[in-house]
Amino acid sequence: MKLSFAKIWTLIKNSFKAVLKGEFLFRLNTQNYFIHIVYTFFLFALIIWMSLKIDNAMLRVEKNNREIEELEIVNSQKTFELVQVSKRSAVKDRLKKMKSTVTENEKPAYKIDK
Amino acid sequence: MRKKAVIKTRKKRDRISVILYVLYLVMLIGSTCLIGKLVYLQAWFKPDPRIKAALTPQSTRIVTQPVRGNIYDCKGKLLAMSCPNYILHMDCTVQKSNYEHMKDREKGMRLENEWRAKAMDLSVELAKVFPEKKARDYYKMIINGREKGSKYLAIGTPVDRKTRNRIIEFPLWNEGAYKGGLIIENDNIRVYPYEKLARRTIGFVRSNKSGVSNTHIGLEGHYDKYLHGQEGIEWQRLTDNGKVRDYDSTYCTVVDGQDLYTTLDIDYQEIADKALRKGIENEPDVEGGCLVLMDVKTGAIRAMVNLTRDNGGRGRFEEISNMAIGRKAEPGSVFKTVTLMTLLEDGKISSLDQTIPTNHGKVEGAKIPVDAHIQQYEVQNHTNRISILKGFEMSSNYVFATLALQNYVNEPERFLSYINKYHLNETPDFDLDGWRTPTIPTPQTRYWTNADLAAIAYGYSTQETPLHILMFYNAIANKGVMMKPYIVGEPVKMDAICSEQTAKTLTRALQGVTNEGTAKALKDARSNVAGKTGTSFATFDNGKYQDEHGRRKYLGTFAGFFPAEDPQYSVICSIYSKATTKSFQGGGIPAVAVKSLVDQIYNIDPYGQIRITK
Repeated sequence: MKLSFAKIWTLIKNSFKAVLKGEFLFRLNTQNYFIHIVYTFFLFALIIWMSLKIDNAMLRVEKNNREIEELEIVNSQKTFELVQVSKRSAVKDRLKKMKSTVTENEKPAYKIDK
Repeated sequence: MRKKAVIKTRKKRDRISVILYVLYLVMLIGSTCLIGKLVYLQAWFKPDPRIKAALTPQSTRIVTQPVRGNIYDCKGKLLAMSCPNYILHMDCTVQKSNYEHMKDREKGMRLENEWRAKAMDLSVELAKVFPEKKARDYYKMIINGREKGSKYLAIGTPVDRKTRNRIIEFPLWNEGAYKGGLIIENDNIRVYPYEKLARRTIGFVRSNKSGVSNTHIGLEGHYDKYLHGQEGIEWQRLTDNGKVRDYDSTYCTVVDGQDLYTTLDIDYQEIADKALRKGIENEPDVEGGCLVLMDVKTGAIRAMVNLTRDNGGRGRFEEISNMAIGRKAEPGSVFKTVTLMTLLEDGKISSLDQTIPTNHGKVEGAKIPVDAHIQQYEVQNHTNRISILKGFEMSSNYVFATLALQNYVNEPERFLSYINKYHLNETPDFDLDGWRTPTIPTPQTRYWTNADLAAIAYGYSTQETPLHILMFYNAIANKGVMMKPYIVGEPVKMDAICSEQTAKTLTRALQGVTNEGTAKALKDARSNVAGKTGTSFATFDNGKYQDEHGRRKYLGTFAGFFPAEDPQYSVICSIYSKATTKSFQGGGIPAVAVKSLVDQIYNIDPYGQIRITK
């Protein structure tokens, strides 16, 4: 088929008229592919929805990371304090302050062998 | 001919279809406009650059610092860890311009006065937390900052989390950053729960932000590349709800530093530290000292104390330099054990009870000072012979110089080859940088004389570090098998430097020293200790062992192991004195410090446990 300017012009004109009349898609027989079109739209919607969900999830990840970081800070601070108070000399000083009779070992422990 | 009527049939549209058609047209026009607008925006529209910058989501490069690995002792106690600290600054200018430019001038003044009143309350609270300044000083500082437009005024010192939580509730600062002006920056700093204990062995870094570049001290320096970890780099994009990681950009996951498990026992370290301090703290003439405790069977270092006076030798004792590995000196009589081992191993003597003539303490064949102890011995015991064991117990230079000259004067290399066999001329790999290589003169050295051979035999002319000496004594305790000292990793057997029989004989001799000899201070120790004392003098600038005022610089050492019958730990304690007229012998402070250590370890170590069979 020979393609001429006149034919192209007629095609555009007819298409425009069809658009105005709301018959463009019918003329292309798209009703046969209606389900596919709907499916494509569904996929687009799904992608947008998932993208939003991913953004939210990532925000939650960031928020949780900050919380974990905070907890790690608390943990390291507590660990540090715990180690400090469990120092041999610190325990000794506390016992002394409490006027406890508990002192350093004065002889080795007994080990009972079965 | 009847003219055919031409009837032009028009589609009859019902009302609904008309409405739908109109709606369709409206939507069609609308969508056409939208598409047109989109094309225009994409192709021709040029927004205001400021608006463009404000509305374009920006990706920010975030560098995440790795958490530096912890350092643990052999029982899992934390020796070094990273802990956040908070640095406080204040924007003193908050709300200032708002109050100044308020239309209602009076209201502006009133609000400014209220702000200043709250700043006063804040200053009172600050003075409680940072008592180095008074409340009025803090107030003056804040108000000055407000008047001069200071937006980043440093407040106090870095604080921990608990204090930070208190501080954010202070008046003015509890109103948030925009009204109170508080700026808090988080910095992960390195903390040492045991403070300065084993500081020189563990090392010191301020934070993990950069590698250890200023110094290579301790484990922190030596293992920095493992402890440091790897920085993470990621790009974050701004969404409507906040920043999230931009997975479309490249990123590098942060890798935290690895933990370091050491052989140190921090309880023993504390005991050793106290034992050494107790001995030297009240001695103004002591420059410093070190005490090292090693596990006999593995070579694991359990404690390494290095105390030096700070403030140019006039201040308190601190862990400033690692003398145990970094200070080599003539070891003194602790080296006589090396000579004795050589004589036994080489078959030059068969028994410790073998005797030699006393010769009034004068060594034949070398120019060395007369041994006054031998002359005393001759008088006290009415004899002109002395056993090798007795010579060892009383630490006679004469006995060992004579034995070395009698047996090796024609083949000094043979004697020195034994020293090399004991690895006393080399430095094995170690977990701390700076272990110095010993100096051993050889006949090829300039000015070598027989006196050098004699001097080496009783601990002069050579230079050894305390750790070399300890390594040697540990081998005796370990039935002749030398172990490489280590703080991190696995035990490494070097080789057998002597036979089991020689080790047994030496143990007997060393027990003689603690029972009857120069280390009697250890006689009553809770465990039987076998060891040897050593005293040497450091040389002055004039090349002599004493200065023009007759003062000497002492190195007093005790090296040994315990319990002698089944050795578990080997130990060395060395004391370095300033130039003094006082005497600092190995049998003095070092032996007393070791006794204190042995007594306390005996009470808590499993080897001391009394077994009861049910």
